[in-house]
Formats: sequence, C-alpha cells, structure tokens
Amino acid sequence: MKNLFKVLLLQILLFISYVSFANSDEIPIESSVSYDEIYDPLEPINRAILDFNFFIDDIAIRPVIKTYKFIAPDPVEKGVSNFFSNLKEPIRVISFVFQGEFMKSINSVGRFSINTLTSLGTFDLASRIGMTENETDIGLTLAKSGVSSGPYIVVPIIGPSNFRDLSGNVVEFFVDPISNNIPNRSYVSIGSGLNSRAELDEEVDQIREVSTDKYEMIKSIYYQNRNSQIEEDFVQNLPTPKIYIE
Amino acid sequence: MFKILTLLLFFFINFSYAEDIEITNWFNQESKEFLEIMNNADVEKHQNYEKYKVFVETNFALKSIAYGLLNEKIIEKNDKETLLRYEKTFKAYLTKTIYNLANTSTSGEIILRDIDVKDGVYIINSDISDRTSSVSLYWKVAKIKDSYKILDIIVENTSYFVTKKSEFTKILRKSRGSLDFLIKELEKI
Repeated sequence: MKNLFKVLLLQILLFISYVSFANSDEIPIESSVSYDEIYDPLEPINRAILDFNFFIDDIAIRPVIKTYKFIAPDPVEKGVSNFFSNLKEPIRVISFVFQGEFMKSINSVGRFSINTLTSLGTFDLASRIGMTENETDIGLTLAKSGVSSGPYIVVPIIGPSNFRDLSGNVVEFFVDPISNNIPNRSYVSIGSGLNSRAELDEEVDQIREVSTDKYEMIKSIYYQNRNSQIEEDFVQNLPTPKIYIE
Repeated sequence: MFKILTLLLFFFINFSYAEDIEITNWFNQESKEFLEIMNNADVEKHQNYEKYKVFVETNFALKSIAYGLLNEKIIEKNDKETLLRYEKTFKAYLTKTIYNLANTSTSGEIILRDIDVKDGVYIINSDISDRTSSVSLYWKVAKIKDSYKILDIIVENTSYFVTKKSEFTKILRKSRGSLDFLIKELEKI
C-alpha cells in the first residue's frame, strides 16, 4: 500500500511538472540538425538562367506538356514514364555497384530484364512481383562517397543542379550503356526531359502560383529531394518550428 | 523496488498507448475531413476556400509556423501590431497555399503508415493515393493546449516549413529585415 502511494505521488509530481511546462509561453523544441545554408556563389547568373528557363517553358515546353497531359490518358502517361525510368536502370546498376549496394544492383538488373522483355519497359511488372524501384544515379554515388555538393547551378533548359550532380550527369552521358547504343540518342534525351517535366507539371504550377521567390523555392526543393536520397532519417532530421502557445 | 518499477512501467506503457490512440483518432478524423473538402467538387470555389480556411485555423499551429519562419531578431525588433499583421497575412497565405496544393490534386484516400515521436513532436507517416498513384506525406504534429496542431507537412520529401523558410529568409535579406516588406510580398500572392 505504501509503495502504491509512493508511485501515485510520483505520478502526480510528474503530471504537475508536465502541466507547468506545457503552460509556459514558449516550448523550446528545436531540431537536432540545422539546415545548412546552400552554397550559391553564382546566384545572379543562376537567377538569369532561371528566368530564361521559365521564358522557354512558357513559350515552348509548357504548351506541349499541357496538350500532352490533356490528350494522353493516365495509363499512357504512366507507360511513357515507366519506359523512360526503365532506360535509367543500367545506370542504377552501375551506381549501386560503386556504392557497394550489390543486392540493389542485382534488383535493378532483374527489373530491367523483366520490364524490357515483357513490355519494353512500359509496364512495371517487376514492381508487381516485389522488385521495387530504387532511385539512384552517379551524383548520389559521389555524394555517398563524401563528395560535397559544390555550388548550386541552374543549367539552361535542364534546370536546377549542383557541381557534383552535374558532374554525375556528364559521367552518365559517357557510360550509359543504353543511350550510347541506340540510334537518335538526342530524341531519347528530349523525350526523357519532356517526360520529367510532365511528371513535375503540378509542382511547377504550384511554384508559379504561390511562391514568393521562385528561385529560392526551386533551390530548396531540389536540395531537400537530393538530401532525402542521401540521408537516412531525413524527415526526422528536418528542422521543426519552435512551439508557441496559439 | 521491483513492484515500483513494474508499476511505473505499467503507467508509462498505458500513458503511451493512450497517447497513440488519441493521435491516431485525431489523424483519422482530420484527414477524413480534409479529403471531404478536397473531393467536394459540388460547391462553389469560394465556399470550398472557406472550408479550407476553417481547416487551417483549426489544425495548424499558425503562430509557431509563422514565427518559426522568421529570425528571432526580426521578432524582437518589430512591435506587436506589425507582428499581428504578419500573423494575419501569413494565415491567409498558408490557406491559399494549402488550397492550391489540394485543388490541383485528386485523392482517394489517406493511409496512415506509422507514428514516430522526436523531441515531443509526432511525425506521422502517411500516403495519399488515388487509383493510379501514391504520394508520401509526413505530418509533424505537436500537442498544444490539449489539441493537436500541425507544425509542418512534408510532401514527397519536400517540407513546407523548410521551403518557406528559404523563401522568407531571402525576402527579408533583400529588404534588410523589413517585416513590412515581407507582408506586402505575401499579400501579393
């Protein structure tokens, strides 16, 4: 009985301290990891290129994408998206080998074989049988090897990148076994680019409508997406606002 | 001693379990309401906007997000009136962004995956999906004055709070820390 009384007393004390803490004007909860400032020494040039990209998007790319999305039924869009994603599997195989992720590399080999043989990559049968897609590329391989991102770069027509990811793209251009062995490589590249743009169509509309600074918004989104592929517990480590009593 | 430890453990487990059930119920109820507003195509646009407004007022930690997006020094150097004006403008801005975000998407259901707790903040992992695709959606939620409030939404690894913090910081730097300038920029949207 005495012990139970002690436990109850302890509980009451804990409860009182909890209540007094909750009623203080501000609860100092801060993220354990602060989000580093993005290295952006080329900002003036990048901003000019971004304006140029939006101009090209307005006059040429956006109308094409909107028409495509209006005409093409969802399964067709999905098929096209799967086709271009499947073409990236060989690069994923190479990247995973260099990352030491051999099981994922084998998974990518399997995915590429199954999807190419059954539907030329337009239908993702491999995912249906449990071989889910794992995203990676040479840029991520460099990041996981400890290469820092370098300055933020906006590439004409292509969009946001950084020195490390752009270097990764250049390496991919030369080592990609698919792109290097198909005729009319440029058509495939354009198709792949347009498909990526179509996949981001709603996000681009969002940026146009609600952004107070398009450049900063795109830069932040780009880095968050890349960091989410590099860091484990990315969401848990994102900064959280201090709590104010509403 | 052993009995005390057992009892403490029992209380702790019970307390955690009750909290888990409470936040799960809150999440299920609010996400259902959100989906209802989102999928309600029958009403006029402005009526739906009003519903989003109520949803944002009820469920978002507006003050915490609004002040979290500013530098501490900026909060200190501005008077109460300007800060209140900022809070009000930010509320309208947040409603508009949520309205735009939800109105460009179609959704069938929100599926709760799991709930994690870090530094007193609940991190709710969910998926929002229609027939063809699924999008990862995390909610950072805290219990403030006996009710759960959303501190951040992370859609496909893009945090609303982090993104807006970058934008607002830039605007404030450009204007040498003028909160009035930021308010004007927000009003333009």
